Amino acid sequence: MSFSTETVIGMEIHAELKTKTKLFCSCSREANEFEKPNTRTCPVCLGHPGSKPVLNRKAVEYAIRVCLATGCAISPALIFSRKSYFYPDLAKNYQISQYEQPLGTKGSLSLDSGKEIGITRVHMEEDPASLVHPAGVGGSSSVLVDYNRSGNPLCEIVTEPDLETPDEAREFLKKLTSILNYLDVFDADSCIIKADANISIKGSGYTRVEIKNITGYKEVERALRYEITRQRQEVSSGGRIIQETRGWDADKGLTFRMRTKETEDDYGYIIDPDLTATAISAPWVRRIKEGLPELAHEKETRYVLEHKISIEDARVIAAEKDLARLFEKVAEKVSPILAARWLRRELVRVMNYSKIDFSGLKIDEKHLSDLLTLVEQKRITEKTAQKLMEQLIKEPFDVHEHVEKNGLASVNDDGAIEEACSQTINANPQAVSEYKAGSEKALNFLIGQVMRQTKGKADPKIIREKMLAGLDH
Amino acid sequence: MTMRASELAGGVRDGSIDPVEHTEKVLEEIERIDKDYHYLNTICADRARKAASDLKKGGSKGRLAGIPLSIKDSIVVKGVESTGGSAILKGYVPVFNATCVERGEKEGAIVIGKTSQDEFGFGAFAVNVGKGFRIPKNPIDPTRATGGSSGGAAGLAKKASFPTISYGESTGGSIVNPASFCDVFGLCPTYGRVSRYGLIDYGNSLDKVGPISRYLSDVALGLEVMAGHDAKDSTSADAPVEEFSSSIGKDLRGLRIGVIKESFGEGTEEDVKDAVWTGIKRLEGEGARYEEVNTPLAFEFGIPAYYIIGTSEASTNLAKYCGMRYGVQEETADGFNEYFTRIRSENLGDEAKRRVMLGTFARMSGVRDAYYLKAAKVRTKIIEEYKSLFKRFDILVSPTVPYKPPTFDEIGRLTPLQHYMADVMTVSPNLAGLPHLNIPAGMKKGLPVGMMAIADHWKESELFRAGAPFERP
Amino acid sequence: MRVDEETIRHVARVARLNLTDEEVRRFLPQMKDIIKAVSVIDAVDTTDTLPSFQPIALPDRLRDDDPGTCLSQEEALRNAKGGSDGYFKGPKAV
Repeated sequence: MSFSTETVIGMEIHAELKTKTKLFCSCSREANEFEKPNTRTCPVCLGHPGSKPVLNRKAVEYAIRVCLATGCAISPALIFSRKSYFYPDLAKNYQISQYEQPLGTKGSLSLDSGKEIGITRVHMEEDPASLVHPAGVGGSSSVLVDYNRSGNPLCEIVTEPDLETPDEAREFLKKLTSILNYLDVFDADSCIIKADANISIKGSGYTRVEIKNITGYKEVERALRYEITRQRQEVSSGGRIIQETRGWDADKGLTFRMRTKETEDDYGYIIDPDLTATAISAPWVRRIKEGLPELAHEKETRYVLEHKISIEDARVIAAEKDLARLFEKVAEKVSPILAARWLRRELVRVMNYSKIDFSGLKIDEKHLSDLLTLVEQKRITEKTAQKLMEQLIKEPFDVHEHVEKNGLASVNDDGAIEEACSQTINANPQAVSEYKAGSEKALNFLIGQVMRQTKGKADPKIIREKMLAGLDH
Repeated sequence: MTMRASELAGGVRDGSIDPVEHTEKVLEEIERIDKDYHYLNTICADRARKAASDLKKGGSKGRLAGIPLSIKDSIVVKGVESTGGSAILKGYVPVFNATCVERGEKEGAIVIGKTSQDEFGFGAFAVNVGKGFRIPKNPIDPTRATGGSSGGAAGLAKKASFPTISYGESTGGSIVNPASFCDVFGLCPTYGRVSRYGLIDYGNSLDKVGPISRYLSDVALGLEVMAGHDAKDSTSADAPVEEFSSSIGKDLRGLRIGVIKESFGEGTEEDVKDAVWTGIKRLEGEGARYEEVNTPLAFEFGIPAYYIIGTSEASTNLAKYCGMRYGVQEETADGFNEYFTRIRSENLGDEAKRRVMLGTFARMSGVRDAYYLKAAKVRTKIIEEYKSLFKRFDILVSPTVPYKPPTFDEIGRLTPLQHYMADVMTVSPNLAGLPHLNIPAGMKKGLPVGMMAIADHWKESELFRAGAPFERP
Repeated sequence: MRVDEETIRHVARVARLNLTDEEVRRFLPQMKDIIKAVSVIDAVDTTDTLPSFQPIALPDRLRDDDPGTCLSQEEALRNAKGGSDGYFKGPKAV
């Protein structure tokens, strides 16, 4: 493979599938809050001699959804292999995975720029156990192992080395997560998503370094930025980059050597003889395809065409499944353009400020529709609406009732505003002459006075209009 | 004359035989036999007594009521040390029962102990026992081998004065080979006929559990109870469980026998040829017809293909034995590679090491196409060779082993490769998953000869039909 | 297929087996012998032959996504030595 870009990046992403049970046994997949170690295991996921695997149909369905959503060609048969290597987190010292015939091949995912990132393969495999190092990585005399996670179903997605910057890598992973979320095969709360990144730079003749086990798209960007810098520095100071595997220490913000290629094992793949080849029939795939939800990029296109909102708004809203759902509901009641602006900016702003995510959001489309209906009808000012939004996030309430009860309805009476402006002009001759001398600040002061007088219930635009009219009189 | 196991069960059911009393006698006898013959790695006296007492109190009155069962050590029994004949699993006490054991106990059987074997099934003489284990002696002449790998199972079935069924296991011939050397019936069913759940794996696509007993009718009874689909084993077939016993005594007229020419060549002892031909003539006397046939691929390539596939699978199966979670475990400050390597090197026997290395080699990248994948294709051809013969014949016949049971001295002079050649008659039916039966064909110079009948997939009934004339009186 | 001491030592290492020099001396001719013997499969014409990874045709075996009973922590740890606080102990993952 010949490269020409400054940096070449490829990724391998492992996403845990949101099934009820593990991939090859009936142990529950989902961790209970406060669960104790080794309480969700059985002879199969513990690798007890004599135990045998049995495949979870739901996991296969979910993996097929991922293949469809990434445009992969789907293999007519699902065949598992044993990937042999020795490590304390492997219950059998082999991982049941796929080698010869991955479930999906030759897919792609487009970035915002339109650039297509190739997806080499999508396949299924089981998760190893979790290791706990009593005294921190590298320093302890033993490990502690928890097999609760052992056997969980993973979907591995491998990209072509088409990514060129840490930004692209971050965007790719973010988009992929959004897709998985939309497909309902992945749940950010209970499922893990991890990435390995392969990176090489021109300066080293494209010697590949692998960084393993990075959690989340923000960390992917950090890790890659660090590594590119490290490699460039190494090369410019006359050093050599060796082909190796490195780990990412998120706390320290650096990559560290794990092992060199020479010590890597031969995986010695064989077809797993405890499992049969599962037929992935065309009717089955068709049924799954028909059941797929509309995905982000499809929503994006539809929002622009149908609702005439801007492509930036459409992109941001469509990317987040819960936000999209709210938008679609609210857009049934109020102008979509208004809904888009408010949801994309105000709602997100307030949620971020209060550190709430969608799973912790207590309000729903009714609250938002009610609020925005009032804004649309100019029955409350935008400023009032903003304040109400902040309050709603903390504790939901009926918007109409609240506005009634607290007399928050805006002052829309032109006459009353004109009157308030006249009063203010008369009461502030100094400010008036400053305005006439060219001071914008004086004008804002005068407008501010009227706003205080009307207790923020008048539309600032109308106040300004009336004020200017009054001053130029 | 020893009662049949089926008669014992009848007596227990109708109350004429006291299972508690009978079991006590059995336990006392096996203690005695075991001192010199080493058929049992573990005797589970408490479990047996409890089962007998529960049965007497009105528990299961099933088809195996009160029948003492011995279980090959590679088949797990809940609460009873199950080692697969290996030092590395010393101390492994399973928390679950193999399905075949569960089914047997449900029918009222009394599990008395775990029988001795070659380590993990790696042998044809039961001399490759694990470190610290004892070699079982031939019941007819204790200076000779029982055969393997289910040596203890076959030896006990012959030596015991009480009615019993031994659960054995076959990968390349390990049921019929020791049955032949110990002068008992042993049936290796079609692959998938009996659940492998709970069988400590040697070669997952080759292993089968099967019954060994002095009487053919007891073998039939044993098969009826153990056979049938098991959802816990993905390779367990849907084939309905027949009343195999009813095939005993069926008219032999018209039975079409293919006599395998290659099995009567130079490598086979004259005594063995004589005894087997006598058996074939006897069947002819009962109305069967025979013709000589050739199975060139089976004879020339069966052993190579079997050893490549079997060890490829075995080397992955044995990877889990590394001193974690069960069996041998030690305190250590070593890194995992050093620790795993030490535990394995100190606790696996020579033959286990050789087979692990052969299997690791055969699936290494760069080698696996020519060995692992090629052997799988050769396997297809061998299966096709048999299938085309079964269009014209009901059973194929050959000696079970080319010779009578050898002395331990004679065995000691064999190279590992010569050990492998002992399997020449049996590896190919095993590779092809075909059911086959050892029929005791009489004594020559005071030592037993076995005749092997092979039937098409799912046609165990033909084996019982052909074995009936040789049933013990 | 060339099989020499280096091959044996490499394969042993991959399989996590420590061979003493004596074992290497003893195993090498045995392994050479065996590998030579199994290499005869090369002579079989397998053009257009599909590999058999099981000897019989088996139907799809898929399980419903319904949780079953797990082992208790005690049962899971029963065969383990040296664990603590409900964890299994293992050698360090250096």
